[in-house]
Amino acid sequence: MTLLAPLFLLGLLAIGLPIWLHRLSSENPNRKPFSSLMFLEAGEPRRVLAKNLQYLLLLALRIGVLALLALAFAQPALWREPGAVAGGTAQLHVIVLDASASMSYGDRWERAQDAALDVIGSLAPDDRAQLVAGGRVTELLTGRTVDRAVLRQGVAAARPGVFFLDFGQLMRAVDGVLRGAELPVVLHLITDGQEGALPTRFAELAPTEPAELRVHSIATEGEANWAVESLVGSTLTGEVQASVRSFSSTPVDKALSLELNGRQIDQRRLEIEPGGRATVNFGALELASGANRVSVSLTPGDDMAGDDTRIIALKRAEPRPVLLVSGDLRMRDTLFIASAMESLAALALVPDIVAAAELGDRTLADYGFVVVADAGALGESQVQRLEDYVASGGALLMALGPRSAAQSAVPLTGQQFESGSGGFFGGDDDYAAVGALDATHPALQGAQLLRAARFFRHSAIEAADEDRVLISLDTGSPLLLERGLGSGRVLVFTSSLDREWNDLPVQPVFVPLVAGIANHLLGGAGFSSERSLGSTLALRAVGLLGGQIFDPAGDPALGLVGGSDDVLLDQIGFYEIASGGNTDLVAVNFDIRESDLATVDAATIDRWESLGQRDAGQVAAGALPEDREPVLASMAQLILIVLLVAVILESWIGNQHLTVRRGMAE
Amino acid sequence: MAARAGAAPKDLLMPEVLASLSNLDLVARAVAEGFLTGLHRSPFFGFSQEFAEYRAYAEGDDPRFVDWNVYARTERTYIKRYIGETNTHLVLLLDSSASMAYGTGSVSKLQYGKFLAATLAFLAGRQHDAVGLIVFDEDVREYRPPSSRAGHLHGVFHAIDRAEPGAGTDIDAPFERFREFEKGRGLVAVISDFYCDPDALLKGVQPLAYQGQDVILFQLLDPEELDPQLRESAMFEDMETQETMEVSPIFMRSRYRERIDAHVDALKQAAVGVGADHTLVNIAAPLNEALKDYLTFRQRRG
Repeated sequence: MTLLAPLFLLGLLAIGLPIWLHRLSSENPNRKPFSSLMFLEAGEPRRVLAKNLQYLLLLALRIGVLALLALAFAQPALWREPGAVAGGTAQLHVIVLDASASMSYGDRWERAQDAALDVIGSLAPDDRAQLVAGGRVTELLTGRTVDRAVLRQGVAAARPGVFFLDFGQLMRAVDGVLRGAELPVVLHLITDGQEGALPTRFAELAPTEPAELRVHSIATEGEANWAVESLVGSTLTGEVQASVRSFSSTPVDKALSLELNGRQIDQRRLEIEPGGRATVNFGALELASGANRVSVSLTPGDDMAGDDTRIIALKRAEPRPVLLVSGDLRMRDTLFIASAMESLAALALVPDIVAAAELGDRTLADYGFVVVADAGALGESQVQRLEDYVASGGALLMALGPRSAAQSAVPLTGQQFESGSGGFFGGDDDYAAVGALDATHPALQGAQLLRAARFFRHSAIEAADEDRVLISLDTGSPLLLERGLGSGRVLVFTSSLDREWNDLPVQPVFVPLVAGIANHLLGGAGFSSERSLGSTLALRAVGLLGGQIFDPAGDPALGLVGGSDDVLLDQIGFYEIASGGNTDLVAVNFDIRESDLATVDAATIDRWESLGQRDAGQVAAGALPEDREPVLASMAQLILIVLLVAVILESWIGNQHLTVRRGMAE
Repeated sequence: MAARAGAAPKDLLMPEVLASLSNLDLVARAVAEGFLTGLHRSPFFGFSQEFAEYRAYAEGDDPRFVDWNVYARTERTYIKRYIGETNTHLVLLLDSSASMAYGTGSVSKLQYGKFLAATLAFLAGRQHDAVGLIVFDEDVREYRPPSSRAGHLHGVFHAIDRAEPGAGTDIDAPFERFREFEKGRGLVAVISDFYCDPDALLKGVQPLAYQGQDVILFQLLDPEELDPQLRESAMFEDMETQETMEVSPIFMRSRYRERIDAHVDALKQAAVGVGADHTLVNIAAPLNEALKDYLTFRQRRG
């Protein structure tokens, strides 16, 4: 026997405590008979250290509990020959059920359950077995047990999931299950052997723990499937295009139905070639305001219902006027940003360009947001108007162009220009690039390629404590920062929006950056409405912080971790996001990788099984190889059981003593 | 007797010496002889009619006691001495409650009380007084009506000797029994540690005083009860009720002494109030003082 943590034996010193406590007594051992207590007065009872120990049995139990506790922490273990625990021929059978989405096809799952029951029925009397379900996560359905009834119950209760399964990842997860096995292991994998689930490297299919691998394929010949592979729609025109793919060797005629918000709009017949694709363009839909539920379904359905329907959420794009305030008489400084906005069809932005002096003629509340191309062009009254607009909930993007250089502080936000304002980097060879970028900010989604842009000049300002710097140059000077003012927000861009001071407008990243900023200033109106199954939805990333998410069943979706706003999308259907009085939809569809029912051939399965054959001979013989080292068998369980018994006895006997004392007191 | 063999009378009267004597009769006789020898010049002689001895006259002696007949024959002045003889009766009330079993020295309070009772009985018998006995605890355990018949005294000794520590104390019980049977005048000696309410004692003694009984109370206490020397706190157990109490040495050195002194004073006052005598007896001391008090009491009551 050995101790894995012998230092914990120092805990045995604690035994002195009960010994001392058991000598403590409130009974004064110095007893004296006296004629009468008539004139005596009780003094303060004092606890004295008696010469003799009291309650010896209780003391023994308490010492035992402490000793066992110290021993348990010291982790005693016995060196044992592997496999010697339950007899020489006993084996551990780990039965892994492939619970990927493709297992729900037809009666595959029932066949998988039957195969599992067959394995259980063939176990030797001494064998132990454990049932595991492999899906997105590996779930232990039972512990290692000899109880066949428990295993059968586990098989009956198991259900296929909706996720894609990669066999390589499954084997890594199963390695964790096999680790520490005291018996020779036989790993049974009951699967449909989906070809698409094979990892890139075949070697990843090998279990790293010694085990005999038996792959039980439950796939049958001639299984056919058709799936709606894609569904896209235009928020501007309402046009919808669906693509159907065949995973079958026979041609088929099917109908594709289009539904809008639960109402069937259209149905098209289509002929699908074996292994081919068929695309259907539906006419323009009459989208209602807000988010619309669009779905297409194949009829008649096949044996895999999950991929016969595909959904998408379309939010009708309402034209949103945006006020661009130019500081240039010829409006050149707004040229690039206006063009970028017009190209963002999904956002349906309508730029309205005015000179700074004409700002007073406009009702700012009518605009989605305001862009000031050069803050230096603003007069006092214009600044005041914009300040009122932002304070009442408006959104403003303000660039500090060439005309701002004459000012000492940034209008509205008030940051001071640094001395020698206008970081001037000289000619083409002397410029600054983007240094740091807050990639988590919703305004910068898709704008990670900003580093290619060159900034020849910028207005160097000092960020205040209340500013959030979204982009800074490699000189450390802020390039884009955000500040909340009243109910609204202001984004300050410290360079020009045209090519005067930088080449950003001609970089490919300019349009995505404008889209991100516009989306952010509009309150996150245009985030992508389709997410893949098993992904997470981060509300913060889409600018909907504080919203509540409801899953397709209508139940509130809980965050992944306590207080987190990230929600795991693990159901197929529409997730509803309620935020700020608006409801957005996120469509989650069946993983198309599970639709392909092509299975690996028998030769591949043989090769796979051979990966686990390293110890097969040993396992079959039930004998141990000479080079196999003895394993440490923990005695913790035994000690904990004895400890539990000792604690129960100690409580019982201690309670008896308490009862006696209460009786005396009465 | 031992006194005549040369032992100092005071030593002979020490309780530890008496305890070594097996026979209570012998104890009583030894105490009485030793005590009377020690009272050689005491004023207690002469209150009875029985001749005791002659002694040469010494300055200060009462000339009334000079035997003039002897003077006529010998021309020497001798004092004629008598042993007291009152022809009265003495009833002894001996407390044999459990608390009387207490004693830290060689004898317990009960043993001491037995010596004292036997000695008093012997002295009374010597004067031909009728001697009665009541042994009591919370009830009357033994009752011997007063008698001066020959052999009665031995019966009294035997009854005293038989007394064993009993239960609690009920001071009313012996007085009630006494009142039932004793109507005439006489002497009543109560030997007890008097762990009772002084008022209760007063109630018991008062009717006797009204009857014309002369009552003397011998309160026997152990030195540890009078002057406890407790060094560390102890669990005291009441010998009568078996109740226990944790007591600190500080209390025993201060408050307890005040209380026991107050109790003794209260008993004394109660006794004085009804015309009785009260004598506090330390059972570590020889019996002399108690007997002296008794004789003084007798002399006073004539």
